[in-house]
Amino acid sequence: MTSVAVGLSRDLAAKRVMRAEVQGYDIAVWRDENGGLHAWNNRCPHRGMRLSHGFVRDGHLACLYHGWHFRKDGGCAYIPAHPELEPPETISATVFSITENAGVIWVSATDTAKAPAEDGEWEPLRSLSFACPPEKVRHAIENTPFAGQLPERAASGHLTAGSTALLVHCAPLGDAETLAHLLVAAGTSLAGRKALSRWCETARESAEAGPA
Amino acid sequence: MSREYATNDWYPVADAARMIPGHGFTTRLLGEPLEVSGSFENPVVTARDGRMLPVQVRYGHVWTTTGSAPRPLFDIAEADETDRTFVPCGAVQVRCSPLRAVENFLDIAHFPFVHTGILGEEPHTQVAPYKVEIREDADEVWATQIGFHQPQAAKSATEAIETRYEYRVPAPTTAVLYKTCPPKPEAWDVIAIFVQPVAEDMCIAWPWMALYDDVSPYADLVQFQQEIFLQDRSILENQKPTLLPLDPRMEIPTRCDLTSVVYRRWLKRKGATYGALTTAA
Ligand code: FES
Ligand SMILES: [Fe+2]
Repeated sequence: MTSVAVGLSRDLAAKRVMRAEVQGYDIAVWRDENGGLHAWNNRCPHRGMRLSHGFVRDGHLACLYHGWHFRKDGGCAYIPAHPELEPPETISATVFSITENAGVIWVSATDTAKAPAEDGEWEPLRSLSFACPPEKVRHAIENTPFAGQLPERAASGHLTAGSTALLVHCAPLGDAETLAHLLVAAGTSLAGRKALSRWCETARESAEAGPA
Repeated sequence: MSREYATNDWYPVADAARMIPGHGFTTRLLGEPLEVSGSFENPVVTARDGRMLPVQVRYGHVWTTTGSAPRPLFDIAEADETDRTFVPCGAVQVRCSPLRAVENFLDIAHFPFVHTGILGEEPHTQVAPYKVEIREDADEVWATQIGFHQPQAAKSATEAIETRYEYRVPAPTTAVLYKTCPPKPEAWDVIAIFVQPVAEDMCIAWPWMALYDDVSPYADLVQFQQEIFLQDRSILENQKPTLLPLDPRMEIPTRCDLTSVVYRRWLKRKGATYGALTTAA
């Protein structure tokens, strides 16, 4: 499984750009005006500016520094300093594989991105960052009681606690941080969502407090 | 990296007018700590080993050097024109190579995107051909015949004008800009950036201006420049790699980047590679 969950679909609107880390690569993730997703090496081929600071225009990702436009295939489409110039074919952003499924965006820096098959219907809850590695996040979540009982891990991977269910996708950030993307079973009430959200924050406290 | 070339240049370490006797401070130069103390008339710079370093006060700043055979500090003739207003603009610390900071200062193509509404704006993005040369006698890089549409070229500008620019790089960590002076079209405004190389990946930019502007309050002039430098900082801290790549395969220039191309070539030729990446990553 080389794909990494970089974010919740609903947190990346059309024409928005965000930064992610995948297998040690700094990545710019953007959504075009048609909803299509793109994951690129976060470095403009011109002068190395992070493309995650760029903006989406005319179906292209434009770099903030000098406004060069890059097409969805990564190729350079336009250099504002020389509007008449046809940019050479060789100028291109480095493109990675990206996909989304069940409300989560997945990227692979080394091969084709694949989202895991999910059992049931899920809705995004929130993304939460932890100042500890993913193993500790998982351990803390499984060992933090919810409504008085320890959650159980279902065969398909999600956690159940009483009548509620939670799906957690962890993405490591460097060696010491984790971005966890949380989803709840479709139809979970607002009160249920709030309770799960608080539970994850409690789990975070114990994950971060644990021995290094 | 080569500290060797870098040690024999002069660098700014303080705004001379802000030296307060009895209130020395510590800073860093080329990775080494320095103690700066004394007064405007008599600044003292001390190295970690207690050695007193050579000092001089020029262009509103206290300059020092750590090398045993320092090259002379470059001359800016306009600094002696007494009818100009001299404006040291404070310090902006930037987490980037000192050479990247200089290169950014030499670049006009970013104006419409980074200094939107001030130094440039769309759709006026085109950069017309200009000339760049290494003046061998002075060993300086010069870019001339640059023209650019600017909404507010200077604090004193009241409307958009076609600004004329000349750039001069008299030392690896200094760039001087001569630009159209809105209230006095026959003269040039001078804006320089003196860069203190704190380390290879960290620098302090000391902008300094010598202007014909007796209208704008001093504080407004400083604020105008500071705002521009803060916009540049958000770019400079997001360029990868942090060091300036000298291998031409690592970044792709286009025609408008000729100043940067020649600047990089000049650095490489001199061996002025402190803050540069000399091999492809
Ligand atoms: S660095 Fe991206 S356009 Fe120049
Ligand atoms: Fe700038």
